Amino acid sequence: MLTFVIRRVFQSALVLLVVGLVAFSMFRFVGDPIDNMLGQERTDADIARLRTELGLDQPFPVQYAKFLQGAVEGNFGVSYRQGRPVGEILVERAPATLELAAVSGFFAITIGIGLGVFTAIRKDGFLANFIMSVSLIGVSLPTFLIGILLIYLFAVVLGWLPSFGRGDVVHLGWWSTGLLTSSGLKALILPSITLGLYQMTLIMRLVRSEMLEVLRQDYIRFARARGLKEKSVNFHHALKNTLVPVITVTGLQLGSIIAFAIITETVFQWPGVGLLFINAIQFVDIPVMAAYLMLISVMFVGINLIVDLLYFAIDPRLRAEQKGAK
Amino acid sequence: MKNALSILAVAAALAGPVAAKDFKWAGTTDPQTMDPHAVNTAAVLGFLNNVYEGLVRRGKDMSIEPALATSWEPIGDGDGWRFFLREGVTFHDGSAFDAEDVLFSYERASNEVSDTRSWFAPVSEVKVVDAFTVDIMTSAPNPIFPDSIANWMIVDKDWAEANDAALPDKENGNYATLNANGTGAFMVSEREPGLRTELVPHGGWWGEAEHNITRAEFTPVQNPATAVAALLSGNVDMINPVPIQDAERLAESGDVNVIRGIEARVIMLGMAQESDVLKYGDDAGKPNPFLDPRVRAAVAHAVNVPAILKVTMRGNAEPASQLVSPAMRGYSEANADRPAFDPDKAKALLAEAGYADGFSFGLKCPNNRYLNDEAVCQAVTSMLSQVGMTAQLEAMPVQNYWPELRADNYDMYLLGWSPGTFDAEHPLRFLASTPNSEKKLGSWNFAGYSNARIDELLPMIQSEIDDTKRQAMLDESAKILQDETAYVPMYVQPLVWGTGKNIELTQRPDNFFILRWVTVQ
Repeated sequence: MLTFVIRRVFQSALVLLVVGLVAFSMFRFVGDPIDNMLGQERTDADIARLRTELGLDQPFPVQYAKFLQGAVEGNFGVSYRQGRPVGEILVERAPATLELAAVSGFFAITIGIGLGVFTAIRKDGFLANFIMSVSLIGVSLPTFLIGILLIYLFAVVLGWLPSFGRGDVVHLGWWSTGLLTSSGLKALILPSITLGLYQMTLIMRLVRSEMLEVLRQDYIRFARARGLKEKSVNFHHALKNTLVPVITVTGLQLGSIIAFAIITETVFQWPGVGLLFINAIQFVDIPVMAAYLMLISVMFVGINLIVDLLYFAIDPRLRAEQKGAK
Repeated sequence: MKNALSILAVAAALAGPVAAKDFKWAGTTDPQTMDPHAVNTAAVLGFLNNVYEGLVRRGKDMSIEPALATSWEPIGDGDGWRFFLREGVTFHDGSAFDAEDVLFSYERASNEVSDTRSWFAPVSEVKVVDAFTVDIMTSAPNPIFPDSIANWMIVDKDWAEANDAALPDKENGNYATLNANGTGAFMVSEREPGLRTELVPHGGWWGEAEHNITRAEFTPVQNPATAVAALLSGNVDMINPVPIQDAERLAESGDVNVIRGIEARVIMLGMAQESDVLKYGDDAGKPNPFLDPRVRAAVAHAVNVPAILKVTMRGNAEPASQLVSPAMRGYSEANADRPAFDPDKAKALLAEAGYADGFSFGLKCPNNRYLNDEAVCQAVTSMLSQVGMTAQLEAMPVQNYWPELRADNYDMYLLGWSPGTFDAEHPLRFLASTPNSEKKLGSWNFAGYSNARIDELLPMIQSEIDDTKRQAMLDESAKILQDETAYVPMYVQPLVWGTGKNIELTQRPDNFFILRWVTVQ
């Protein structure tokens, strides 16, 4: 067991190193930060001075090594754009993204499971077929378009919800939350629907097909034959067994919700880490880009590591294989 | 019910001593710092003009008017300028303003680490005469010096020193990066970089308030569609810019006002005039035709500027004949005509230069710097091909664009220029002088255009006190640039702002948004 864990952790660290290397080597194609940092009246001497100060004149491996060294010490450098430590900025922006991801995840899971069960039980009903057809929109329309459509309908035409931003926030220590103010809650609705729609459709379709599969099983027929109530059969016996694969997929989707928040955050000017990243690209703010990419890869690698370890803990066959391998 | 509520709201507003007027606006770029000497960009200086003040400021028509100095006069025979300071001015933190703050701000803004250093290149010394008189000496007569320091903002010496911000620090930031203490009409009450910046009126401001704002909030919104939606839904009161393709529709919708103006920025084509060979296209490696002024003139005649203005800019821009727009000081009336669209003449010129069959070359273009920049380049490409010049267009983000230009990787390129001094001398210095890094000349003259007479005229223009003589020299240089087709100026970029129906404001050609001219009804 211990060797397995150590090996997986080691592999994860290797993945992170490679991700960092690839990300870092790509920055040279994003452009040159110097012109953005200096105004129109800059001279060639200013350019040279700033380049030296930022260490951009050094060869790429040296820059990467310096970045790694800093990252290990928990120091991601100073943002070129804001002139403040990147770590500080990320901590400031993280709550917005995490709250958005959590709310849209909750929305995707509850509605997704609910509709999935409904469409499975009433699989030939008109409403169920209608929901299935409409759900195709959720998977096929790009997030960007969904966001714009929602803004147009609910903010511009109806005027019910704010078109952008996070509303008023309450600061609890370093965490800023929009969940405690009415404008904050209102501001959450459109972006979380936009972000969660794809996941919701995915979960709904997964639940539906799993549920249909389970409903065909013998034990469900026996349960029905025993005269159990339909509700009890559907929700107690069938749904429980449906949820096992759904939980696995949902867990893995959690990471992608946070990573794909970039587009939603751009459309809604949502002040999270995704928007920070987009702005960083426009400004060639290399320290911010590097830190964000590392953060996202740490998250994905972490989730995968946990999932692997959980499988290992749950599934005895894996342990047996390990022993056999020795 | 809704009516009843709004009546209540109005009643409540009337009942209060002062009706609270909130004003929210959105722009594409967040000012990256609150330090007025750290970064010399329109986003930063434009924003901070509401917070900090200089000795002089620009009025609604861009003319120079008194601010922290009540008057100024030349010293001796062009030795410098004496500024008489306004008395009784206080900074936002309540401390008093005097000549020491001016001297300190000079030292701070002209320091090597300050981005605003170039404004003070002509200055030899700054002397405090008494608490409210300052002499700024120049090494040569400098007629436009007061014009050139309209954005030089005065910071409080004690505040800066007490907070360890005696010098700007662009790379690491300091107290002044996030905090501000100016003398301006508004003070920064909250600053969350990249998210929002809140301003409230400065109670101790010396001027007469022309606005009725009690609280203003700026939010950067990068996505144009999001900004338009925010304006339409009333979440913000003003956006800058309105995407040019939406301007017409918004203006007709009747829900908002679209305010159009002409910016200071001239959009032009530059052509390689140093390289012996072409670098791109099928003719790469062959002799460079753009060295021949007739070929450059052919480009000017081949580009159908009226068509670009009508189609690509949707009637929002004005044609340009020279490197500055008519709104700038020193604009040459004598050279106001731009080359006519005349493809036959262009072909004849090409034939005369020995390119009757045309040639192929590379055109570099930014795709996120100027309004519709890539679309303009596409139009230019097809217009040039009509007369046999086949451009291979390569458009890229501006972050990659400047390094390419600096590395001379182009045959032709697109450039926009907005003179920081609002004077025709500015583009001569940066775009038309022979590049010389020691003298800090021609730093944006990527093409390497060089003309001995221009180089000779520039220092004379810089030190000529007599306006008529100065204008004569500016006219002469404008004519040279036109005769040689150093650049092909195409049009002056438009400004398109959108506001709610209840907002009145003034749009200035430098695209600075001045809060103290805003009234909310």
